[in-house]
Amino acid sequence: MDEAALRGWLARASGDDALRITALTRLSGGAIQQNWALDVEVAGQALRWVLRTDAPAVLAVSHTRPQEFALLRAAREAGVTVPAPLFLCEDPAVIGRPFFVMARVEGIAAPHRVVKDATLGGGREACVAALGRELARIHAIRPPRADLDFLGDPQADAALAAIGGLRARLDAAGTPRPVLEWGLRALERKAPAPLPPVLCHNDFRTGNIMLDAQGVAAVLDWEFAGWGDPHADLGWFCAKCWRFGQVAQEAGGIGPRDAFLAGYGRPVDAARLPWWELLATIRWAVIAADQAARHLSGQERSLELALTGHMVPELEWDVLAMAEAL
Amino acid sequence: MQEKPDAADLLATAREVVLNELLPALRPEKAIAARMVAAAIALALRQAAAPPMSEADLAALAAEIRAGRHDPGTESHAQVAAFLRDYARARAAVSAPKVLG
Repeated sequence: MDEAALRGWLARASGDDALRITALTRLSGGAIQQNWALDVEVAGQALRWVLRTDAPAVLAVSHTRPQEFALLRAAREAGVTVPAPLFLCEDPAVIGRPFFVMARVEGIAAPHRVVKDATLGGGREACVAALGRELARIHAIRPPRADLDFLGDPQADAALAAIGGLRARLDAAGTPRPVLEWGLRALERKAPAPLPPVLCHNDFRTGNIMLDAQGVAAVLDWEFAGWGDPHADLGWFCAKCWRFGQVAQEAGGIGPRDAFLAGYGRPVDAARLPWWELLATIRWAVIAADQAARHLSGQERSLELALTGHMVPELEWDVLAMAEAL
Repeated sequence: MQEKPDAADLLATAREVVLNELLPALRPEKAIAARMVAAAIALALRQAAAPPMSEADLAALAAEIRAGRHDPGTESHAQVAAFLRDYARARAAVSAPKVLG
């Protein structure tokens, strides 16, 4: 990281020639993005920011940093609790890749802590109600939106498009998975009629939401957002596979489903939720299998990825029961 | 005959060392790695002890299911459903036995 170049750019962007970088440290982060804790002094004030940029190997399925910046702005305008997006640099010459800067939010996102630590989130029921409200604000964002044109046109039928996308990933991976096919075929037979599209977060789940003692500190990880059926997010959040062992707490392992849906407040077609929860379970199985494939191919040897692959049979067991009940 | 203890005994004993001796001595941020090692050993032991799986043509079955050839109402539906249940149970018995109750 060229700190002098970064400082110069930040000074111009913030309008303070004397801006000082007091700390710049790499945060633990994904294989896709790099996050840096960035402490600055601007106009005599000490501020804590995060700089977010692509890792050298960019995954094609995820949004670029400029696109993620646009999503954060749209979400913040809609009242969603997200870190304030501050500056976007699309010029790769400054630090080698495009990046953006956002406010640094303090809180806990680690899923096993979030589901077990009742001091987080301002009370369990209040927390899931607040998460329902966050999701409703996200879903209030509707196409067309010039600032989000990179999302493309909405699919005519989000449910069938989701099935087609997962089949394509299974085909690309090349391992026959008859149980997942069984679930996908059940979904195809019972696909719900299309609804007017809304902005879906597409990874709204425990682990991607930062909590503090008061409530929701930030909704994170916007890289899969796109136009779709709002029930997709509701089903992803409630699916059993995202409860981190607290199976009785149907809203993300944190609290009751009723409180979550009451907080959501918008009309929910309850009959659609089992459909999207089954889709969520299959989607996570496909992702888990793809993660293990990175280990198996030698691309990224890792015990964690290897064990993630062994989550697939548990998900398949659930898929059979869910398909039967659909 | 190979010398005893055998592979299963050695792996099980090694797992006890990881959990009982190494884990408590590790820095907290390394605990998860030790737990993953223990989980991987347990899983490998279950897989080694599992009966061999059937040699069904899974690719053909997957394609048929996708094409709707085993949908409810077809002659083969119940038979394929039963096969998938056995198949999924055998896989979960190795990878996630807790879900089978």
